[in-house]
Amino acid sequence: MKARAFSYVRSETLADAYAAFAQAGDASYISGGQSLVPALALRLQAPELLVDLGAVAEMHGVTLDGDMLRIGGLTRHAQMLTEPLIARHAPLLAQAAPHVAHPAIRNRGTLGGSVALADPASEFPAMMLAMDARMEIFGAAGTRLVPADAYFQDLYQTALEPGEILVALHVPSVGPRHRWAFDELTRRRGDYAMVGAGLQGLFEEDGRIEHIRIAFFSVAATPVRVKSVEAALAGRKIDAALIAHVQGLIDAELDPAEDEHLPPAMRLHLARVLLGRLLQTVSSPT
Amino acid sequence: MNFSIDGHAFSAEPHPGQCLRTFLRERGDFGVKKGCDQGDCGACTVWVDGAPIHSCLMPAFRAADRKVTTIQGLASGDALHPVQQAFLDAQAFQCGYCSAGMIMTIAALDETQRADLPRHLKGNLCRCTGYAAIHDAIDGVVNVSDDIAGNACGASLPNPFGPGIVTGHARYTMDLDVAGLTHLKVLRAPHAHARIRSIDKAPALAVPGVLAVFTWEDVPRRLYSTATHEDHLVDPDDTYMLDDVVRFVGQRVAAVVGESEAAAEAGCRALTVEYEVLPAVFDPELAMAPQAPVLHHKGGEAHGNVFAEIRGEVGSIAEGFAEADAIHERTYTTSRVQHVHLETHGSIAWKSDDGRIHVRTSSQAPFIAHEKLCHLFGFIPADLHVFTERVGGGFGGKQEMLTEDLCVLALLKLGRPVKWEYTREEQFIGASTRHQMTTRVKLGAKADGTLTAIEIRVVSNTGAYGGHGSETLAASLSSPMSAYRCANKKGEGFVVYTNMVPGGGFRGYGASQSTFAIECAMDDLAKLLGIDPFTLRRRNMVTADDWIEAIWSGVSDVEFGSYGLDQCMDLVEEALATGPRRPVPAGEHWAEGTGIALAMLESGPPTEHRSGAVMELLPDGRYHLAVGSTEMGNGSVTSHRQLAASVLGARAQDIDIINADTDKAPFDTGTFASTGTVVAGQAVMLTATALRQNILSYVARITATKPDDWALEADAVVGGNARISLVELHAKGTAAGHRFLAKRKAYLSPRTVAFNVQGIRLAVHRITGDIEILQSVHAADIGRLINPMQCRGQINGSIAMGLGWALTEHMDYDDTGHLKNAALRNYRIPSFADVPRTQILFADTYDTIGPLGAKAQGECAINPIAPAISNALFDATGVRFASLPFTPDRIFDQLQPRP
Ligand SMILES: Cc1cc2nc3c(=O)[nH]c(=O)nc-3n(C[C@H](O)[C@H](O)[C@H](O)COP(=O)(O)OP(=O)(O)OC[C@H]3O[C@@H](n4cnc5c(N)ncnc54)[C@H](O)[C@@H]3O)c2cc1C
Ligand code: FES
Ligand code: FES
Repeated sequence: MKARAFSYVRSETLADAYAAFAQAGDASYISGGQSLVPALALRLQAPELLVDLGAVAEMHGVTLDGDMLRIGGLTRHAQMLTEPLIARHAPLLAQAAPHVAHPAIRNRGTLGGSVALADPASEFPAMMLAMDARMEIFGAAGTRLVPADAYFQDLYQTALEPGEILVALHVPSVGPRHRWAFDELTRRRGDYAMVGAGLQGLFEEDGRIEHIRIAFFSVAATPVRVKSVEAALAGRKIDAALIAHVQGLIDAELDPAEDEHLPPAMRLHLARVLLGRLLQTVSSPT
Repeated sequence: MNFSIDGHAFSAEPHPGQCLRTFLRERGDFGVKKGCDQGDCGACTVWVDGAPIHSCLMPAFRAADRKVTTIQGLASGDALHPVQQAFLDAQAFQCGYCSAGMIMTIAALDETQRADLPRHLKGNLCRCTGYAAIHDAIDGVVNVSDDIAGNACGASLPNPFGPGIVTGHARYTMDLDVAGLTHLKVLRAPHAHARIRSIDKAPALAVPGVLAVFTWEDVPRRLYSTATHEDHLVDPDDTYMLDDVVRFVGQRVAAVVGESEAAAEAGCRALTVEYEVLPAVFDPELAMAPQAPVLHHKGGEAHGNVFAEIRGEVGSIAEGFAEADAIHERTYTTSRVQHVHLETHGSIAWKSDDGRIHVRTSSQAPFIAHEKLCHLFGFIPADLHVFTERVGGGFGGKQEMLTEDLCVLALLKLGRPVKWEYTREEQFIGASTRHQMTTRVKLGAKADGTLTAIEIRVVSNTGAYGGHGSETLAASLSSPMSAYRCANKKGEGFVVYTNMVPGGGFRGYGASQSTFAIECAMDDLAKLLGIDPFTLRRRNMVTADDWIEAIWSGVSDVEFGSYGLDQCMDLVEEALATGPRRPVPAGEHWAEGTGIALAMLESGPPTEHRSGAVMELLPDGRYHLAVGSTEMGNGSVTSHRQLAASVLGARAQDIDIINADTDKAPFDTGTFASTGTVVAGQAVMLTATALRQNILSYVARITATKPDDWALEADAVVGGNARISLVELHAKGTAAGHRFLAKRKAYLSPRTVAFNVQGIRLAVHRITGDIEILQSVHAADIGRLINPMQCRGQINGSIAMGLGWALTEHMDYDDTGHLKNAALRNYRIPSFADVPRTQILFADTYDTIGPLGAKAQGECAINPIAPAISNALFDATGVRFASLPFTPDRIFDQLQPRP
């Protein structure tokens, strides 16, 4: 199918982009376009105007400010694998990135686009939860920071109000006592995951967990944390018995929807398997 | 806006909403291909500022002020990029449709990325090669051998169109600029069964750029079948070009022609159609029930939805089962899958100044399409020209006339050239599929394993139209039932109409489905008897001394032109025991198992099949060969040149070839049923032999010697010390009125048989359902290898397709008959990562029926793949997976301990 004919503006500032969006009756922002363009071609979306964010300076670049890493929304998936600051301060993103699509898509797709879209099967949005990131959002009242826990609301539904722009992602930098891990189970290698998860925790010198955040994706309408598991792990050292115990908490925590490709029972089962693997991975220092 | 494409700077304004892919193609950069328009296949890959991207996912305006490089700009001048050269050296393509994107991706990989190819090639799909030759190219392997005069046969010679393929200059069906082109699109049915009450054309005609709308009231009311066979009576004439009843979701409802594709699509959306929804039936068993809604009322309704029924018995199975010490009985089912040739269906039709109509199409059977168009429109055959250029894969999907008819209709009505190109979604909902078959197998055997009775019952879900229905059913009851020797055999089969997308021809053609059932059943029986699967098969498999018999006692024209099944079994057994394999992955819960399966396939169809060729000696001492059969990646142009060259003592490169063109080549039924070698190849052989005779006789005449005194060499005829160059001979002969020309035809009879045996070693993860193929071994008995590299390529491609059928591919429908996964994103054909390397071995045979000892080989390698995997899973887990595909959820489900 052919996309609807649309007009196009390329804004250089957040304010311009916001204004252009607001003026048009029916507009979409475009970042990497890797989700938007297929949606346009299928006419799942048919805006009159595309507002290209590509030239907005505030959305570019990765900078460290104290112990917060600010990753511009336009940072491409491919850069998660090459940017030294990300490797050093937000290694979970680098670990997840090879699992996201394939190189040609990663050369275009952006972190901001992925987190703005909030596809429940996507890797990066869940990592925002696991890393306790803050979303920098530009709207009518200027810029605000929204914690990941408040950001993901429902299927494709985030704290972004219509017209608001996800400017950057702020990620707390990891220190020497952090451990992290990422994994996913796919039908065919490189596919969207049947179930995936990432975790990041602060560990005591003796290996006890001070606190940990574990986020699953592809199990619900949004990426989700498994809070009872996190709580049960706090203050404990990982061993086989603990793993078995927290695996037992998964069923009460997750409630995957009926889907004939993958029965909920199997999704839960895979989530338990994955949780076990991830905890095993971080039972020794990363 | 300013663009720079392959070093050319220019300014242009892309259409609003246009993607870079169509922007490039509109400029004539046809090297950039379309396989999906969704970011899934990679055929459209280009570089933007040096980084590979999918041009279908980039709005064209975003390429402004950037440097765009396509496959056509990759070489520097005449010097190929090293990856292009590597693709030529390894011949890393068959149809070549994926090559442009593949090369652009690979050429941008750095060393670390090359070390992890499964990840980095995930975005580039190839349906033909099974990725083995692509891997070779990346590793710098040279697969081609030298083209030595007189030694062409048996050499791994390259595809003559290779240089065009790797540089993006090869022209596929849609790669043509036609002045004044209009675009056709169809509206497809939203209901599985409905009568069209009315269609309001007015809103569509009001859309700017829409030129015409055609409905069932505008087409010749003539029944036909979209399936192409030499004998049109084998397929039921149950189809109208456009009908007032729709019988599956996706059936054509109306055609809209516009100045652009976008206008035609907008016209389709604007049409108002009123439907009377009718009850629908999707399950063939339910469709056979007396109260089921009957799909067709064209004279056969006395049989309800069963339009073909085939039965046969040899010996007495009642007695056979009475004699048996053990009986095994079970039902096995195969799934509906799509061919996913990377080039979608399409054709372009136009009129020349002399009033003739020309149709350029992506077809495996342009001559039969020609006949069908003459039938539909009442053309005088000479007024119509149908041809192919490069065809981007077929696999049986293009043994069908799906687009040509409406293009011609629109051309006749509008007088302007018309193009219709399928989208990937249309491939899934509006093209053909593999017939879903359910096969009940009952085997009786003595305690020592000797079979006493084989009985099968096959129910084939042909969908809404019956093309290929009875032929695939007959095939399912034929070779697979002949593969085992047994005095008592019985088969019955039913082809049933349902409100599903139609079935069609698909590599393996019905035999794949029943081979799956029978080969799984043989291992089930082996387990029951406590006999090893090799032993059970060896005890019962057909031997060269046996009479070839399926379920009919009548005589057939199938004979052993050679026999190598025993060798194939030995080769696979040996390789499984000693060959290279990967270790079981680390960690708990992996179960390891091995499985084998064998397959027998008749070389060519039981229906008539014919082909023809014309050869000529050219003034420069080279030859010209015209042959009717289509090259779609099966390699026939290469092997036909080799056959001709070996007869003429020439080099393959001395032979120019043209194929699949109703004006320029003699009639050929079509490239399907593995006939490229055994029929068209035979025609080439006969023609080349006749031309050799022509040349030698002429030399004998003018020198007053005998033809036997002379022999043909690369550039000359040689006799004793005398040597006359072909250039000189041609000049002399033509001056004297002699013609160095020959034409011959070939028919398919008798038919020989080919064998394939597959061995699989795998590990299955009991907890996640993951399957890792640890070892894959394939032995083929396909006679003499005319081009060993190509034979390997066909087998690798078949194995990959078999893996897809077994593990990842499945057309998934909701209960109203809508396909849920009509995209490559969730209809998963194997990617590089999914296809293990297969050790391919060949039986040493020389066929007495096929040309120069060769047999058919394009199809049968797929048949033993899925059952070998099921058998390996059975060996690993003790659980029989009897329904395709073996997806993780099914594995998980069946491996759960039952209360
Ligand atoms: C074949 C294929 C495979 C893929 N596989 C995966 C995968 O395995 N895992 C995965 O996570 N993703 C996958 N993707 C999606 C890919 O990662 C997308 O690039 C990403 O989800 C969206 O990023 P983008 O920059 O391309 O956003 P765009 O496509 O430009 O935009 C996406 C949506 O977000 C809106 N938007 C974009 N940026 C902003 C912003 N800054 N503020 C507010 N709204 C904004 C747009 O209006 C649009 O609605 C795949 C895509 C393809 C085509
Ligand atoms: S056509 Fe662009 S990825 Fe398939
Ligand atoms: S050669 Fe790759 S798709 Fe045909």
